[in-house]
Amino acid sequence: MVNERKSIIVEKHLAATESVTLLYRHIIEADRAEARRLLSAAAEGMGYNDALRNILEPTLRMVGERWASDGISLAQGFVAGKVAEDFLILGTVQNVLRHSAEAETAEDDGSRLPPKIAVLGNVEDDYHVLGRSMVASFLAIEGWNIVDLGCDVLAEEFVDRASEAGACVIGASAMMLTTARNIVKIRQVLEDRGLAGHLKLAVGGAVFAMRPDLVGEVGGDGTARTALEAPALFELLRKKAGRA
Amino acid sequence: MNSMERIGAVLSGGTPDRRPFTLTLSLYGARLTGTSAVDYFADPALYAAGQRAVVDLCEPDILFGPFALALEAEAYGATVERFPDAPPLVKKHAFKTPEDIAGLPRPTPASDPGLGFLVESVRAVVQDQHGTRPVAVPITAPCDLPVLLLGMDQWLNTLLFKPELAAIWSLLAIEHFESLAAAYFKAGVNFLVSPVMLANPSIIHPELADRTILPILRDAFGRSPGPIVFHHGGNRLSRSLDRLMGLPNIAGYVVDERDALTVSRRTLGAAPLLLGNLSGPHFSRRSPAEISERTTRVLRDREQDPNFILASSNADIPYDTDPDCIVAVRKAVEVF
Repeated sequence: MVNERKSIIVEKHLAATESVTLLYRHIIEADRAEARRLLSAAAEGMGYNDALRNILEPTLRMVGERWASDGISLAQGFVAGKVAEDFLILGTVQNVLRHSAEAETAEDDGSRLPPKIAVLGNVEDDYHVLGRSMVASFLAIEGWNIVDLGCDVLAEEFVDRASEAGACVIGASAMMLTTARNIVKIRQVLEDRGLAGHLKLAVGGAVFAMRPDLVGEVGGDGTARTALEAPALFELLRKKAGRA
Repeated sequence: MNSMERIGAVLSGGTPDRRPFTLTLSLYGARLTGTSAVDYFADPALYAAGQRAVVDLCEPDILFGPFALALEAEAYGATVERFPDAPPLVKKHAFKTPEDIAGLPRPTPASDPGLGFLVESVRAVVQDQHGTRPVAVPITAPCDLPVLLLGMDQWLNTLLFKPELAAIWSLLAIEHFESLAAAYFKAGVNFLVSPVMLANPSIIHPELADRTILPILRDAFGRSPGPIVFHHGGNRLSRSLDRLMGLPNIAGYVVDERDALTVSRRTLGAAPLLLGNLSGPHFSRRSPAEISERTTRVLRDREQDPNFILASSNADIPYDTDPDCIVAVRKAVEVF
């Protein structure tokens, strides 16, 4: 009986590993339709949450690792975002999303973590949507409740909406140096309102990859080099917000 | 030797009196003439005056027409923001979805003031130089024009998942390139410089680029009436140079500061022009001594390379750059 159960577990593991390899290949080959088919079949076979945990998440981790080491292109990262988005839509349709922001406030080393709520937006005068939309997809997969404010968002609006939503992280995106400098205004509003401890400021966009020193210059609490690294950054900032 | 003769000597396999050099000082002319970049990038006479001031400052061997690619997007309805100390930038894309291409306007330099400014500025700079100095002009790469018109996410989505629509957009971009290139050459420009973002493997992986991007470039560049310099477009170029060779009308390649010139030359072979690799945007954050030292290092590296032109890479040299940083390049070239 025990051996039989072990054998089933091993078989499931092997099937999942094979699916991860296959899904990774579909993403690399930009075959979104096949990726969608694979994940739908997996969700039907093993359940949505197991498909998320055992297939999509490990695949995205692989994509993220390759992306961070320049092993894949922005377009392939974009496909990964679209595949994640498709799976989220499937989960919404089936009403089986594993995460909920409320469920993620568990104790962590004795401190209570704030819920996984973040507001995202392109800063004032910035209209480069790509990075923000990819970050939103990858955060949602990790159970974050995202309030997406869109483009050209003023500093006050970032902070107002974050306060209303009970967010612990603001994600501010800017592609160019000229617009990245507008992030300073968000930092200023956070300081003026005494929110800097509980509400962290993640900054991102091409200009930060070229000039990492800019993160501190504009008052950011951290940045991620790729969209797939954003969930780790947001989790880190969430913990910092929880400790404040 | 004047600059035209010097560049001519390089191109014909002759011996120039010194290593030719150029810096992308399109914007900097506004600073040198104390003109707001808002006015400068709207008036060909002001632009030409700015380029005369650039010559007075450092006598580069190649001058540039306006580096203001956003004006090409504005012609299609993009909202462009203008700054007193920076080139115009696309603030809002012209189209929300790629399906909006139906009924798209086909602006020309004759019908659109922004395109007219670009072409007339080139004409004015060319006339000023009386054939003594080559003039080049940046032009949006046809594969990148939809990024300016739709945004990167929409264009990637179209390229990846809507091939029929992508073909329609590609044709529009190719025809735009053809029309503007023809107008530039008619105005007297010596060559075009096309910063190409989407051919880079960090943006689009080679398999997809070979299928989608290179055919656009092949078609558009083949329609150019004159030579084109392929610009790295903000990413490293050396690792994709082998795939980009053989595109029609390409006379040379501008590489990124992070690219090793030796590797680039090895890939290209001896003949094509190789340009670079002082990062333009870094000029405002480096001292004249640092820039002089970098210049000398690059010149030493390329000492035996007859087809190398020292140039700034990446974007325009910033407005707030100390003029001494620019003069430092000139002095380092003369001393070497």
